[in-house]
Amino acid sequence: MTEAIETQGLAKDYGNGRGIFDLQLSVPVGEVFGFLGPNGAGKTTTIRLLMGLIHATHGGARIFGLDCDRDSVAVKRKVGYCPGELPQFGGWRGAEIVAFVAGLRGDVEDASIKALAQRLDLDLGRRYREYSHGNKQKLALVLAFMHKPVLVILDEPTTGLDPLVQQEFYGIVRDARAGGSTIFVSSHVLSEVEHICDRVGIVREGRLVTVSKLEDLVGMRAFHVEIEFADSVPTEELKSVPGLDQLRVADHRASGILRGSFEPLMSALVGRRVIGLVSREPSLEEIFLTYYETKP
Amino acid sequence: MTLLRIALKQQRTGLIAMTLLGVVTGALNAVAFVQIAGTSPAERLAFARSMEILGAQLSYMLPVPEHLDTVAGYLQWRAFGFLVLILGIWAVISSTGSGRGDEERGLVEQWLAAGASRARYIAARVIVFALVAAFALAATMVLTAIAANSSGEPLPIAGLASTGLNLLVTTLLCFGLGLVVAQLVTTRRAAGFGAAGLVIALFFINGASRSSDVGPVRWLSPFYLYDRSKPLTSDGALDLGAVSALTVAALVLIALAVTAFVRRDLWGTAISLASRTSRPTTAPSRDPFLRIPVVALLRQQWLWIVTWILGLTALSAFLASIIKTVIDALTSSSTPIMRAYFERAGLGGYDSFVGAIWLSTIMLILSAYAIVQVQSWSADDAEGRLATILSAPVSRARVILERLIALLVAVGLICAAAGIAVYWVATSQSIKLDGSKLALATALLVLIPLAFAAIGQLLAVWRPRIALVLLSTIAVVSYFLVQFTPLFQWPEWVANLSLFSLYGMPMSGEVNWSGIAGLIGVAVAGTIGALFAVQRRDVGA
Repeated sequence: MTEAIETQGLAKDYGNGRGIFDLQLSVPVGEVFGFLGPNGAGKTTTIRLLMGLIHATHGGARIFGLDCDRDSVAVKRKVGYCPGELPQFGGWRGAEIVAFVAGLRGDVEDASIKALAQRLDLDLGRRYREYSHGNKQKLALVLAFMHKPVLVILDEPTTGLDPLVQQEFYGIVRDARAGGSTIFVSSHVLSEVEHICDRVGIVREGRLVTVSKLEDLVGMRAFHVEIEFADSVPTEELKSVPGLDQLRVADHRASGILRGSFEPLMSALVGRRVIGLVSREPSLEEIFLTYYETKP
Repeated sequence: MTLLRIALKQQRTGLIAMTLLGVVTGALNAVAFVQIAGTSPAERLAFARSMEILGAQLSYMLPVPEHLDTVAGYLQWRAFGFLVLILGIWAVISSTGSGRGDEERGLVEQWLAAGASRARYIAARVIVFALVAAFALAATMVLTAIAANSSGEPLPIAGLASTGLNLLVTTLLCFGLGLVVAQLVTTRRAAGFGAAGLVIALFFINGASRSSDVGPVRWLSPFYLYDRSKPLTSDGALDLGAVSALTVAALVLIALAVTAFVRRDLWGTAISLASRTSRPTTAPSRDPFLRIPVVALLRQQWLWIVTWILGLTALSAFLASIIKTVIDALTSSSTPIMRAYFERAGLGGYDSFVGAIWLSTIMLILSAYAIVQVQSWSADDAEGRLATILSAPVSRARVILERLIALLVAVGLICAAAGIAVYWVATSQSIKLDGSKLALATALLVLIPLAFAAIGQLLAVWRPRIALVLLSTIAVVSYFLVQFTPLFQWPEWVANLSLFSLYGMPMSGEVNWSGIAGLIGVAVAGTIGALFAVQRRDVGA
C-alpha cells in the first residue's frame, strides 16, 4: 500500500456550480499534501467527503485502500481530523471534551493529550465557552493529533492561531511526518503551505487545477508591490520589468503584481529616488487571476 | 423595520403554536362543556357541585371554581386558569432567546456592528412579542366565542376581551421576568431554566395561597394578581387595580432589563461576580464515566436527569396523596353524564384513578422529556458536535442507538422513582394498589417516551430544524385526542391515533397488549427509519 488517499472522479454537486467535481487525486503515504484554493473552491467539501461525513454524488475516495463512505468507521480509526468549522461545546471543560472524544476513540494515551496541550499552551481546565477562537482551534488540533493517527486531515488549521503557535503547529506537523504520518492540509494561503508541504494541489471553482511539487509553484508565487517615488513614475521602465503585471500608476505611486525574482525590478529602480517600497503576498484569488489570465 | 422583521420571523413558530394551543384550549373546552355538563339546569347544578369538590383538590393548579354550571365559569376555571401558566412559560422561552440566545449565537454582535442600537434591538424584540401574544390571544378569544356560540352558549364579548387583556399583561410580565433573568446569567440555558423555575414557583405560590395563608408573599406572584380578575362570569369583573399592577410591573421589569442590556458588556452579566477560577491543567478529565459508551451520555446530563427524578417523584407523591379525596368526590356525583363519562373512560375504583390521574399526567410529562432530548440531538447536529463524534471511529447507527439506550435508562430511573413514590404514598393513604400491576404499568410507561424519541430521531435526522415543532405537534394532538374522544364519543380508531391512547389504562383493566405492540412498533419503525435516514444524509453540510 503506497497511497494514503486516492480519489477517482470524486464529485459532490450542490447545484449552481457549487461543490467539487471530478477530483482525481493521489497522496502517497508519508507525504504532507497541501490542498490550496480560495474560499468556496471546494476544499472543505472534499475533506468532508474523505471523512465520510457527506456522500459523493459521483466517484469515490479511498484512504489506505478503504472506501471512505462504506468503510468510514475503519477509515476513521486511522485518521485524525481538524474541522474548518469548530463545534460548540458550551459549558464543557476542555479536559472533559478530550476525555469524551478519547473515550469514543478508545486508543488515546493521556500522556499524548498532555504533551500536545503543553506544546500548544492550552489550558484544558477552562470551559469551552470561555475559550478564544485561537484556543478552540488549539483544542481541535489536540483532538486531531492526540491518538497519533497515520493520516491527519486538517481543514485550514491555523485560522485564529497567533504566529508563535503557528510555528508550534508546523513543528507538530513535521514531528508527525517524521513519525510516518501522512498529512492532508487545506489552506487558502500559499505561504502557509510552503512551510510544511511536499506537494500542493490547487483547487478552484470546484475543480483541481494543478498538482505540483512546491518548487514547481515558484512561478506562481507572487507579490503585490507598491512603490512611491520622489519624482515622476518611470512608467516605461516598469512596464519592461519581466513578471510585473497589473501595473497601475497614480501621481507618484506605482503598484502591480510581481511574479518571480525581484532582481529585474530593483535594476529598473536604480538611479530613481524611491521614498517607499512595500511588498505583500496577494490573496490567492489575485494570484489565480493574474496567473491564469497571463497563461496561454 | 429590519429589526422588527427579524424579530417577527423568530417569533413565527411561537405565534403558530400558541395560537393553536389557545384556540384548542378555549374553543374545544367550550364545545366540550355541553357534552360533559348536560343541558338541563339540574344536570348543570350537579355537575358544578362535583366539579367544585374536584376544583378544591386541584386548587394548587387551577383557580377556585365559580359558576361551573355555565360555560363562562367552566372556561375561566378549566381553560384559562392553566393557559396562563403555558403562556408564561412561552414568554420565558421567548424572552431568554431574545435576551441571551441571540447573543450566544453571535447575532446581536452582528446587528450592533451593523449600526443598530442596543435599545432599538431589545425594543424591537419586546414590541414584536407583545404584538404576537396579543394576536394569539385575540384569535383564542374570537374562536372561543364562535365555538361557544355554535354550542348555543354565547359568551359575553366584553368578558372575553377582558380575559384576553388579563392574560396578555400577565404574559408580558413573565416576558419581562425572563428578560431580567437573561441579564444576570451568561447562557440561554441558565436563563431559560432559571426564569421558567421562577415562573413555576410563582405559579405555585399562588396555588398555595388558595388553600392556606401564605402571607403577603402571595402579592409577589403575578398569578395571584391574575386570579383577582374574573371578568367572564356574570358577577365577576376585571380587577382594574390588579391589571394595572401587572402592567406597571411588566413595564418596570422590561425597563430594568433594557437598562441592564444597554449598560452591560455583551456576553457579560449585569451584575459582575468574581468568577470561580479553575486550576490550569493540560491533562484530560479523569472521570471514567466520560469514556464509557452510553454512560458518557448520561454523565453529561446527570444533573438534568436527577432534577427530573426529584421533580416527577414529588409530583407523583402529591398526585397519589389527592387521589382518594378526588375519587370520593367524583364517584359520589349525582350527575348521570359525569358517571357515563367515567364509565366510558373506564374509571371505577381507586386503582383505576391512579391510572387516570397519575399515569396520564406523567406520560405527558415524559413525552416532554423525550421532546427536550430530541431538541438536544438536533442541536448536536446544528452545532457541529455530531460531526466531531462521527470523526471518531463511531458508526452513525451507534450514535442513534446509544442515544435511545441512554434515554431508556434515564426514563427508566425516572419512572421507577415515581412509581415507588406513588405506591408508598397510596399505601400510606390506605389505598389498596396491586403492586405487580403498578410495576407493570410503570415499566410499560417507558415505551411512550421511547416511541416519541424514536420518531424524534427520525425527524431530527430528516429535518432537524423542524423536528421539535413536528414532535411537539404530535404530542399535543395525541393529548387532545385522549381527552376529547370519550367526551365527544369519537370512534375508537380516532383515539388510537394518539400515542398516549396506545398505552391504554393498565391500572384499571387488562393491559392493552395490542396497543403496547403498537407503541413498540412505532418505536421500532422510528428507529429503523432513523437508522436508514442517518446513513443517507450529509452531516455538517
